[in-house]
Amino acid sequence: MKSILNLIIAIPTLLLSTSCDGQIKNAKTVTVKIDGNCEMCEKTIESAANQKKVVSLDWNKDTKQATISYDDSKTNPDEILKRVALAGYDNEKFLAPGDAYAGLPGCCKYDRNRKKSEIEKTITATTDTTAIVQSVVSNQFKAIFDSYFELKNALVKTDAKTAGLKATDLTIQLNKVDMSILENSQHVVWMKVYKNLIAKSELIATAKNIENQRTQFMDVSESMYKLLKVAKLATPVYYQHCPMYNDGKGANWLSMENAVKNPYYGSQMLSCGKTIETIK
Amino acid sequence: MNYFKYIIFGIAATLCNYSFAQKTVRYDLFVRDTLVNFAGKEKKAYSVNGQIPMPELHFTEGDTAEIYIHNELQTETSIHWHGLILPNEQDGVPYLTTAPIKAGTTHIYKFPLVQNGTYWYHSHTKLQEQVGMYGAFIIHKKEKQELPEYIMVLSDWTNMKPFEVHRRLHNANDWSAIKKAKIQKGAAQSYADAIADKSLGIKLVNEWKRMLAMDVSDVYYDKFLTNGKAEDEAPQFKAGDKIRLRIINGSSSTYFWLKYAGGKINVVASDGMDVKPVEVDRLIIAVAEIYDVVVTIPSDSTAFEFMATSEDRIRNTSLWLGSGIKQLASPLEPLKYFEGMKMMNGMIKMDGNLDDMGMNMSLQQMDMNVVMYPEITGRKNDKKTKEHDHSQMENQYNSNALSDIVTLNYSMLKSPTKTKLPDAPTKILNFTLTGNMNRYVWSINNKTVSETDKIMIKKGENVRIILYNNSMMRHPMHLHGHFFRIVNGHGDYSPLKNVLDIMPMETDTIEFAATESGDWFFHCHILYHMMSGMGRIFSYENSPPNPQLPNPKKALKRLYKDDREFHFMFENDFASNGNDGEMMYMNTRWKFQTEWRLGYMDEHGYEAEAHFGRYFGKMQWLFPYVGFDWRYRKMHGDVIEKNIFGQYNTKDLRNALCFGVQYTLPFMIVADGRIDSDGKFRLQLMREDIPISKRLRMSLMYNSDFEYMGGLKYILSKSFALSAHYDSDMGFGGGFTFTY
Repeated sequence: MKSILNLIIAIPTLLLSTSCDGQIKNAKTVTVKIDGNCEMCEKTIESAANQKKVVSLDWNKDTKQATISYDDSKTNPDEILKRVALAGYDNEKFLAPGDAYAGLPGCCKYDRNRKKSEIEKTITATTDTTAIVQSVVSNQFKAIFDSYFELKNALVKTDAKTAGLKATDLTIQLNKVDMSILENSQHVVWMKVYKNLIAKSELIATAKNIENQRTQFMDVSESMYKLLKVAKLATPVYYQHCPMYNDGKGANWLSMENAVKNPYYGSQMLSCGKTIETIK
Repeated sequence: MNYFKYIIFGIAATLCNYSFAQKTVRYDLFVRDTLVNFAGKEKKAYSVNGQIPMPELHFTEGDTAEIYIHNELQTETSIHWHGLILPNEQDGVPYLTTAPIKAGTTHIYKFPLVQNGTYWYHSHTKLQEQVGMYGAFIIHKKEKQELPEYIMVLSDWTNMKPFEVHRRLHNANDWSAIKKAKIQKGAAQSYADAIADKSLGIKLVNEWKRMLAMDVSDVYYDKFLTNGKAEDEAPQFKAGDKIRLRIINGSSSTYFWLKYAGGKINVVASDGMDVKPVEVDRLIIAVAEIYDVVVTIPSDSTAFEFMATSEDRIRNTSLWLGSGIKQLASPLEPLKYFEGMKMMNGMIKMDGNLDDMGMNMSLQQMDMNVVMYPEITGRKNDKKTKEHDHSQMENQYNSNALSDIVTLNYSMLKSPTKTKLPDAPTKILNFTLTGNMNRYVWSINNKTVSETDKIMIKKGENVRIILYNNSMMRHPMHLHGHFFRIVNGHGDYSPLKNVLDIMPMETDTIEFAATESGDWFFHCHILYHMMSGMGRIFSYENSPPNPQLPNPKKALKRLYKDDREFHFMFENDFASNGNDGEMMYMNTRWKFQTEWRLGYMDEHGYEAEAHFGRYFGKMQWLFPYVGFDWRYRKMHGDVIEKNIFGQYNTKDLRNALCFGVQYTLPFMIVADGRIDSDGKFRLQLMREDIPISKRLRMSLMYNSDFEYMGGLKYILSKSFALSAHYDSDMGFGGGFTFTY
């Protein structure tokens, strides 16, 4: 009787001990640096790296240090750090692919110090102060338009998740604008549109559903069009029109390319629409 | 006097040229058996001069190549010079153009090099190419090139012997799908996967239309290699360097997607011939295809990944350009198999033919597979909520219109020089590429190489081939000894190539000037398709006899042997109630098959049936046979069994000849009707290997003798499975199944 009792106790204990996590055989431990910002980063980094009974990674968001324990017979730090980089995080060994980093939520967008600047793009500084100011201004707007185009591309792909992330980026860029260095004409337009722009892009960021995002995108596009008129961008932008959306009332959007890729319908009717104005 | 000067000058110049062109470059290649460990296990392979891939061979245009092949293998071999313009007997197809290189002998190849560019060389004997016999063959331009270069030879490696791979393909063995599913969930496309994907309806239509699981590539490979390594490194390059990569796909059956982490890829040549540079984000390189590309190293202290991913996206291999911290390229996300299946369901007609719905597909422009690519058509969970009536058919599969990613296709290739063919009579040929996945039969116009005569062509004429791919796989079609132009809308500047990748449902036109003599092979370069007979032979009228083939008729028979080969298959279920098994010996059209059910007691009975028959039709659904049936079963008392037709069953002891016909119905149910020499009819319906989940298969059978059977099999390894079945004769049984 006693032995049966013992057995009853022993079995669950056994089960417990085998299912217990973190028991890594042939364990080796290393410390490495992984770039990142916040708690959300910590979660992503750790879940990208961890494998039951093989890898356990602990990342500290303040020191950016990660302690990795791993089974030496099954894996190596390179494999683990590669997974971390593919999740979007630069580290000592690997740089994240461009789109993995771009896909991170706004708060996780750490400064990419490890990434060396591209040599062709390091242009010598100009001494003309007005030119600098001018370039700062257009840069302010350029960042907004860049975010907008990324948002549009996500809608073209009918990718609600990415669209949400891009809308967050857009909101961040909109909030960054320093009004004091805007030209007069720009300032006037900016005051008219910025509240609506921020409100609508926040709505897109929080909307879970692609249809709701597209509805808000109509308004965002109208405001962006007004802004574009004074933004003085270096490259031409195409103002395009889909006659069917919005119950046949039609809707517009801006694009970097003349070929039509409809953000309101995506692949359902990708090339529906036409360019109605080219803004240079 | 002046005149004389000119002549002297002329002669001197010619002599000068002559001596330059006369430079002979000699290589000695020693082919040996070797053991390699590419993927965790030591395996047999063939090496040349101790290495895999075979050594890079470098020449300059105008040189004469003199290459000694020393065959130190126990078996014969051959070397084909892929893409080279050379005399017919130097082409290296054993038994067709060149004498086979017997074991222990040396063969000398010698030919002038009349072209420049990136080419390759490989064995053209059996399946030797799969185990290491491939290498780069570079002919440099006479003038020095300003860009630094790097060669990238891609290949695929399996731990399974190529003979086994080939045999299993012909037996529709799905072990390779199970191996893939270990890496990528859902790759087996079973009913359980379909339910998990909410795509049960799609799977049902798919089986209704008699299709097996969608397979983007047939073979499971354990490793993909760049220059014989999982990852190759070229740290010598610095920021700002522009590098010409000569990329050769030397794999046996793998297409690769090419991507670069450092920016755009500039395509400058294909199959050895220059093209007008074209900038893309990615390209697919077909089996045996070659692309020269130029890439730039954008920044310092960084190694940029040039990544090649197999088309099924199971694995990749990389080249790191530059040194320092490694900049990764983003990997390709797993395929949406059920989206692909849905697309195929729409395209395939009940008779097995494909229907392009009037889309006139050609030149890789409409890639039906984009429905499976998350980066082009979005991830599964972001799927659009409602279909729109206006959906734009012409762009539905156009990868470049659907996304910002620029993918190379053949319509973007343009020759820098005029490639117009001479004015001459044109011979027009129509080739429909045909195939049958279930029995792994691959052919042109439903005929294999051995089932057709050579196609006679005349020197001086032009040959135009209109290819239509009516099979469900893409095929890299390769022409020996010639370049063809791909008629792609660039008129006089149509590009020259020697490999054409043609996707399902595409129609492409290629044409070449017949300028040579002798016999030239035109075939699918997927090794296992070629060995199954997917090809044709072009033969020039009035060619001089080939000194290397003293008995051309006998030689041709040897060549035909390749696709006439019989494949053996054996399966036995060792169960608690008896043994149950079958054995098959079959080739493209013929099959010998025997089945047995052996109980352990007289009451359970002993049965054996043997059939010999021939498959008919492109899809091979019809199989008439003759056979023999023997059975013995001790019955208790005087039980007399009657069948549906009111005939009495003589199950206790029967020796009968039988004549029958099998037909594959929708859902791949095989209906088998037969009559035996005692005048008994039997009609039977059977479906084997229903994929319930990744490893679970179900079989069902019922016949007009009121016999029935249901069985389940859980696949443990490539040879063993656990099995359980219920049989109306032998009752319930469980055990294990051995499959060879």
